[in-house]
Amino acid sequence: MSVEPIRAPAAALLTHRHLRRLVGATLALAGIAIWAALPQVLSRGTVDLLVFTALYAIAGLGVAFLLGQCGIVSLAQSVFYGIGAYATAYCCTTWGWPWYAALVIGMVISGATALVIGWPVLRLSGYFLALATLALATIGHVLFLEWDWLTGGTLGVGGIPQISLFGLVLNTPQKFYYFIWPLAALIYWLLYNLLHSRSGYAMRAMRDAPAAALVLGIDVHKLKVRIFVLSALLGSLAGSLFANYVSFVSVDSFGVDRAVSFLLLAVVGGAQSVIGPLFGAAFVTLVPNLLSRVGDVHPLLFAGVLVVAVIFLPQGMGGLVTTLWRRLWPPAPPAPGSGT
Amino acid sequence: MTRADAPLTTTPSSALLEVRAVSKSFGGLHVLRAVDLTIARGSITGLIGPNGAGKSTLFNIVSGFLAPDRGDVIYHGRPIGRISVVDRSRAGLVRTFQTPQVFGHLTVRENLVAGCHKLGRSGMLADMLGLPLARRELAQMQRRAALTAARFSLEPVADVLAGKLPVGQQRLLELARAAIADPELLCLDEPSSGLNGDEVDQLARMLTQLNEEGMTVFLVSHDMELMGCAATVNVLCFGETIASGPFAAVKADPRVREAYLGA
Ligand SMILES: Nc1ncnc2c1ncn2[C@@H]1O[C@H](COP(=O)(O)OP(=O)(O)O)[C@@H](O)[C@H]1O
Ligand SMILES: [Mg+2]
Repeated sequence: MSVEPIRAPAAALLTHRHLRRLVGATLALAGIAIWAALPQVLSRGTVDLLVFTALYAIAGLGVAFLLGQCGIVSLAQSVFYGIGAYATAYCCTTWGWPWYAALVIGMVISGATALVIGWPVLRLSGYFLALATLALATIGHVLFLEWDWLTGGTLGVGGIPQISLFGLVLNTPQKFYYFIWPLAALIYWLLYNLLHSRSGYAMRAMRDAPAAALVLGIDVHKLKVRIFVLSALLGSLAGSLFANYVSFVSVDSFGVDRAVSFLLLAVVGGAQSVIGPLFGAAFVTLVPNLLSRVGDVHPLLFAGVLVVAVIFLPQGMGGLVTTLWRRLWPPAPPAPGSGT
Repeated sequence: MTRADAPLTTTPSSALLEVRAVSKSFGGLHVLRAVDLTIARGSITGLIGPNGAGKSTLFNIVSGFLAPDRGDVIYHGRPIGRISVVDRSRAGLVRTFQTPQVFGHLTVRENLVAGCHKLGRSGMLADMLGLPLARRELAQMQRRAALTAARFSLEPVADVLAGKLPVGQQRLLELARAAIADPELLCLDEPSSGLNGDEVDQLARMLTQLNEEGMTVFLVSHDMELMGCAATVNVLCFGETIASGPFAAVKADPRVREAYLGA
């Protein structure tokens, strides 16, 4: 494939834009090809980690959206992840419902919970709000433990049927991988649209200067509650799919530590970019696993890697990728005289 | 006497906004004492007074950020005491802030697009799915933002992050963003502070132009430079209006000279 030589500024502009598109498309195609080939070459255990990466990326995207676009620190995502998982566990095992019906019920309960709790709690701001969400995570964990008729308490609920799609049962990590990743991509596309829409501008306006947003007719409180609900829906969705995937859920999966790792992946990945949480999810699922091969010091190593990542990548990994892409392929050629 | 919820009061039809006997204190500090003020529809009305006179407090009461202890704010002949900031904005009452409140991580262009928010109505779902309605509305907002940027000479900095602008341009952006959705009453808190002479001239020109197009402007300042373009000027001193009338007459008022000019 040959690129037209640069003759005149207009031609240069055209070529540059085409080239940028071409490179983008090639990278995307290569990415898809690699994505499709991975389960064939990787071990079952690694594919399993990649499934978890997608699950965490979905739940974490909700947290990242709250943090990056609205300036809300939420430690409550484990609650909605848990509600989704238990809704699926209960409806599928006790009533024999299909997975998607249980998933929808979980999302309805999570959304309603987020609405009822978010309405008063989101009047708080800053540390108080963060603490309130932490309290929520703690209460949620206790309730999951106490309501053993629903959750099986510490024993958990087993025998949750796997997802079957058009007669195909997703009973291996490989099969689930081909299901969860396109779903994650769809969700990322939806939220990308949202961010670049009228609502998206309103959110970022609210994050930067809430008083000015009010004056422009942006109902700040309502908007916060809506995004909190949206975030809860994502957490619930991921929780439900998690329950179907692992077939067994116990209260250990929905503690405060899980809420922290969702927030962590948003921070490490970079909450300002939509793609960031994807990298963050890969980080929190893959890195501890890689480090565990070193031996017992791995939690310490993970903490170290984390600190380094946060210090050197204030915009997160998503920010780094965006910057690199812009640097390699700036949107337009630099104006004459502006230097390089 | 008309009832409070009656559609019309005895307000003369020329008054767009009336402040009636508004008082406000913070703890023991009486910041406003029974302040009266009328803003005629289609006018530029000024409010001057030394620092700490209570001008910004009055602004917060008019725009709905603060509730008065006593008294009423009447807009379009109706008391609006119970109406939220957002609903006042939707009813055409928009303000700026003494310290400019731009959306720092958005570009100038994006600030203006956000300023068009209340002109659209697409919901979050339509926005997420990128439905035609949502796309069309956003495109309209973007066109309007481009026109406004050109009008306010913000085109050269359209793609600069608003937080990186010098304060003069931040003020201009805030004015453009407040004016973009065609408010009926534009309230400006100290719009000229931090501006150089040229910028103040430009601001005065813009305000006169907006006013000629039908926008009512309520202008607050502690200095007198900008007041030349105001038809009526009110003087606030220690929480009381001590004079009100044409700028020249107010300037000549001995009480104003004593209280404000220190003469
Ligand atoms: N939220 C508040 N709490 C306590 N005192 C306040 C508050 N807002 C304003 N004040 C006081 O009210 C007085 C008037 O302030 P302000 O309305 O900002 O005056 P101006 O805008 O005329 O300079 C000042 O003495 C100020 O310290
Ligand atoms: Mg003031």
